[in-house]
Amino acid sequence: MTEVSGRPQGGSSRRTWVLIVTLLVPAVVVPLLVPLYDSEDPTMFGFPFFFWAQMAMIPAAVVLTVLAYSLAKGADRQDREARRKGGRA
Amino acid sequence: MSGVSTVAFSVFLFFFLLVTVLGFAAARWRRAKALDNLDEWGLGGRGFGTFIAWFLIGGDLYTAYTFVAVPALLYAGSSIGFFAVPYTIVVYPLIFLFLPRLWSVSHRHGYVTPADFVQGRYDSRPLATAVALTGILATMPYIALQLVGIQVVLEVMGIGTGSDSWFVKDLPLFIAFVVLAAYTYSSGLRAPALIAFVKDLLIYVVIIVAVLYLPSQVGGWDNVFATATHSFTSFNSSNADAIAAGQAAPKGAIPPPLLHWAYASLALGSALALFMYPHSVTAVLSTRERSVIRRNAALLPAYSFLLGLLALLGFIAIAAGVKVTNPQQAVPQLFENEFPDWFAGVAFAAIVIGALVPAAIMSIAAANLWTRNIYKAFINRNATHAQEAQQSKVASLLVKFGALAFVLFVSTTYALDLQLLGGVWILQTFPAIVIGLYTRFFHRAALFAGWAVGMVYGTWTAYNNPKVGDPGSHFGSPLDPFLSVPWSDWLPFDTLMYIGFTALLLNLVVSVGLSFVLRAMKIDAGVDQTRPEDYHADLGDEGVEEELDPGAPAHA
Repeated sequence: MTEVSGRPQGGSSRRTWVLIVTLLVPAVVVPLLVPLYDSEDPTMFGFPFFFWAQMAMIPAAVVLTVLAYSLAKGADRQDREARRKGGRA
Repeated sequence: MSGVSTVAFSVFLFFFLLVTVLGFAAARWRRAKALDNLDEWGLGGRGFGTFIAWFLIGGDLYTAYTFVAVPALLYAGSSIGFFAVPYTIVVYPLIFLFLPRLWSVSHRHGYVTPADFVQGRYDSRPLATAVALTGILATMPYIALQLVGIQVVLEVMGIGTGSDSWFVKDLPLFIAFVVLAAYTYSSGLRAPALIAFVKDLLIYVVIIVAVLYLPSQVGGWDNVFATATHSFTSFNSSNADAIAAGQAAPKGAIPPPLLHWAYASLALGSALALFMYPHSVTAVLSTRERSVIRRNAALLPAYSFLLGLLALLGFIAIAAGVKVTNPQQAVPQLFENEFPDWFAGVAFAAIVIGALVPAAIMSIAAANLWTRNIYKAFINRNATHAQEAQQSKVASLLVKFGALAFVLFVSTTYALDLQLLGGVWILQTFPAIVIGLYTRFFHRAALFAGWAVGMVYGTWTAYNNPKVGDPGSHFGSPLDPFLSVPWSDWLPFDTLMYIGFTALLLNLVVSVGLSFVLRAMKIDAGVDQTRPEDYHADLGDEGVEEELDPGAPAHA
């Protein structure tokens, strides 16, 4: 992907975006690594590990997404101010 | 299967009539000037905030798929059935990253459909048409899945069964279908948005009662998992010969190593497919500002948790001794056996309404594609707003009939396969739409070739995939040995993979390779109408309007 950012004034929010993507990558990759959780044990409340581990990934992914959301909000604001200073939308 | 009690049926009928009235009344809800243009009919005026969007997008995603199709897989002992959970985990971070860019560029340029974007970005009518047709085609089996969901509930209620005539048998489904078609026709997107409130309320009540009450009825979760696992093991040992001969599929709760990639590719493939369906794009574009999408990506996983518990209703049905030959009936039958009559009626209503809402949204979205990218692009370039809206209304009817055809002619053991078949097709638009949001590297002709290769490979492979134990049958499974071509013998591994995912990989290889070639040959790549900053525009920026002028031509 060539112009991944494409942000006109570049730079200012780029580091935040790297952080945001770093936060979100585990939420996408970990649930796909089946060998990590394809076992019966340990069980919890009667649930085999295979089932409760995947259920537990949901709140974990929510935490990461909420963090990413607050970071993205700040980054967007920063970008907009940078653009305004740049004089052109 | 004897019919249900009058109480259950009356409760069901009450809710069905309630949403029917709401559906028609929705035409007056939050009404702008008139419904006879595409932004109003097809996107509800694009003024939805976080709250309504949460219900609306949730209404899109949690459907008969969740209530009927996924539990059916677990009930039938398909060890990959739980993939729906990682799928709904993975999808939200992807939505978070990709869709705000699509929102921005669409609101800056007045794009109503993904094909509008592709036209603007790649300046290629064939490619935009391919994307539009793929969207319409892929939506049909997805709607068909909803119709199957309605059908099994009606069957369990005993409505129409007990008659040998196919007409009497399918009549209730046709009635539900006609009612749906009629209020979608008159109210557009407002109808499902309003009904989504009733739907979500009902679904939440039913789910919470189901997951709290049912396990205790059958001896707790311990017993649920133990009984399910035991029933699978005893099935496997008593059918060992058939399994060894490939005439039956082994059952299980946890995927064995051979199916690890199948599980992961189904999850990722479904996640990537989900947000390219025209109906997801419709819901996303109908939000008021960019941040609504990100906020929802953080809020919507609340539904995923319930989806996981609902999937396990398939095991609860086993533990409760539900015996049905059609696994799709497992959950409705479980409800009928275990709930008091009146609550069974509520639960049936929840499933049916939960299928009607997405079916309406999906058909509207597919209709928008038809009108914008086929009718207006080829048939009547100077269509008036009223003509556009009229085209969409009629197209939404045709799409629903296409879905009916899938129900009647593509008979599948698992309704879920219908959705996965749609996924095989819609995934082939990924390079043009999603990667296109980031880079203009791809050449338009290369994208078209990649799309064609993916479509042909995916359709052909899916068509030739027989059901286990039924050689010569078609569309029997969404999985296939990875790259099932003669020259793949050298591959160091042997694994099953979701056909849609393999087709997407082929598509990408062709798109990337040909892009290099075409660029080196300096073949005209077309004019890109979007600018890098368009992908970040938000409400309040210059040139971004809350409600777009639908009269502005899609591709200036």
